Amino acid sequence: MTYRVALIGAGTMGDVHARHWNAMPGAEIVGVLDPRADAARAAGPAFADWDTLISQSKPDIVDICTPTPFHREYVEKAAAAGKAIFVEKPLSRSIEDCDAMLAAVEKAGVPAMSGHVLRYFPEFAAAKRAVDAGTVGKPITIRTARMAGFPDLGGRPNWYADPAQSGGLVLDMILHDFDWLRWTFGPVTRVFAKGLYGQEEYFGDLDYALVTLRFASGAVGHVTGSWAHPGGFRTTLEIAGDAGLIEHDSDRSAPLSAMLKTKGGAGGVAVPESPMAPTEDPYYQELAAFVHALQNNLPPPVTLQDAREATRIALAALESIETGKSVTLS
Amino acid sequence: MTLKIAIFSFAHMHAQSYAAAIAANSGAALVGVWDADAARGQAMADLYKTTFYASERELLAQGLDGAVVASENVHHRRLVEMAAEAGVKAILCEKPLATTVANARAMVDYCAARNVKLATAFPCRYSPAFQSLLQKVQSGAVGKVLAIRGANRGKAPGGWFVDKALSGGGAVLDHTVHAADLNWLLLGRNAAEVYAEIGSEFQHAACEDTGFLTINYDGGVFATLDTSWSRPKNYPTWGDVTIQVVGTEGVIDADLFAQNLVCYDGAAGTASWSNWGSGTDTEMIADFLRLTAGEDTPRLATGEDGLRAVQIALTAYESAAMGQPVPVAAAAMRD
Repeated sequence: MTYRVALIGAGTMGDVHARHWNAMPGAEIVGVLDPRADAARAAGPAFADWDTLISQSKPDIVDICTPTPFHREYVEKAAAAGKAIFVEKPLSRSIEDCDAMLAAVEKAGVPAMSGHVLRYFPEFAAAKRAVDAGTVGKPITIRTARMAGFPDLGGRPNWYADPAQSGGLVLDMILHDFDWLRWTFGPVTRVFAKGLYGQEEYFGDLDYALVTLRFASGAVGHVTGSWAHPGGFRTTLEIAGDAGLIEHDSDRSAPLSAMLKTKGGAGGVAVPESPMAPTEDPYYQELAAFVHALQNNLPPPVTLQDAREATRIALAALESIETGKSVTLS
Repeated sequence: MTLKIAIFSFAHMHAQSYAAAIAANSGAALVGVWDADAARGQAMADLYKTTFYASERELLAQGLDGAVVASENVHHRRLVEMAAEAGVKAILCEKPLATTVANARAMVDYCAARNVKLATAFPCRYSPAFQSLLQKVQSGAVGKVLAIRGANRGKAPGGWFVDKALSGGGAVLDHTVHAADLNWLLLGRNAAEVYAEIGSEFQHAACEDTGFLTINYDGGVFATLDTSWSRPKNYPTWGDVTIQVVGTEGVIDADLFAQNLVCYDGAAGTASWSNWGSGTDTEMIADFLRLTAGEDTPRLATGEDGLRAVQIALTAYESAAMGQPVPVAAAAMRD
């Protein structure tokens, strides 16, 4: 069968999803909802409202790529309509909302997956496989870093700059790291964090956070999140264990680097590129994994419960930033 | 005039580099060495073509201008005070200055009371990469500094370094002091509060080998620091010192030991990094000799600088025990 997909939100992430749905055998976009009609039309058949979308496009999957504050509303609507749900991360800004979404999905008995795509990034997937294979022995210290500029929505209202909506990079970006760390190294028991979140004179144009995690295993984690790096994007990963070490640096593993003359004759900027085969693109992989789970009647590989736990770590980090104290997670 | 310098103990391996730098300096002479381990002391005396003294007092009676102390950490105070008492003009003490704040304070006061200049061996200050970073930060290249992410990791040391009775602590005390000192230069602010997660699962020894500190500075700048002995045996180099300075106008990353050749030894089946960057000890020793000669040495770390760094490291232990951040002064007072 071909899975019929309704896309909710045709912004940055919605565009990425639309591209991969359109490339995926066995899936097609049958409807798109976005208040910006042009953006909706660019992604697929546009609808003006939820009810029309559901009744006319008859989707099997509702793919929710809205800004975070709209996740709960659409998860609850999609669950009530009996649809399979893919919802972007972060699941929500609050645990209460997470629980409401979990309850709605459970009550409806629909499959639901959350977009913790870092698990599908080949370098992180490979690192997890190496850890599981015992390459480093017992993991003891783990460091990840995700460094970029402040999100730019190209003139559209920037909801990232509103801490109440986005939760800053702690909830929006390094949530990815929290999920991958929890998936790979198990539950987190204590969180201590410092960051620019809540500092009005900087936030909106800059965010930076340094988060220390203690795992139930005894391991210690350290996560760097930056929206203070002008231009470029860089991730680093390091796992030290009692029998070895794994290192990764995106700056040192890009197979392509172009440095081209600019028109004015001034020096160019090196633009590194790390391309993957189309079907190994992490965003394709996560959507394909969801479809595979649906086809085989398996639980989705990243559940809303996983998303809730990652959110809990991120919210603990924000609480630590606000209170100056460590936060214990049961 | 040639400055007469002596080294007290080669327990710390840096002493060899200091000995070589003193021997190579045309303005100074290494007139003798003392070591509690007579065999090691004699071997070092032979290597650097100087005299081994089995008695500290006998060596101190040679009319020394300056003394370098590189013993096990717990003996720093005794040797520094002995040298100050004997009337040397300046003393360079290996880091950490002491294993308790009370001892570090006592050393600083003891030297000050006798007008003896006390310096702490913080060679990273002399890294050209760090100097360039410092100059850029001070000239406002990153705007207002908001945060610093530091790391100073290494392979597991052995011997007295992992014997708390001699070292006073493991990876946290050993490495925090370097990075804390660099942060001091970058920020010019005192640490207000320290949080730390500590562990000992790499070596499963009595000494901690894992240290993740978060330091809050006066004025709100925050910093983290990884001090762990987390490099495996076959890591291509001894470890690292890295600093990411984040400001309102951008970010600068410094990797103090990045200037390496990558060497693949086919016969041994190993890959290693051979550092071709500027050594830091020669410049630090040159400054110590200037200090001994009575000159100003603004770059050389003082005893106060050593004390400030020890305070931060020791506060980390308090925090780790409590699971919460601890004010730096409060920890120091409990000492």
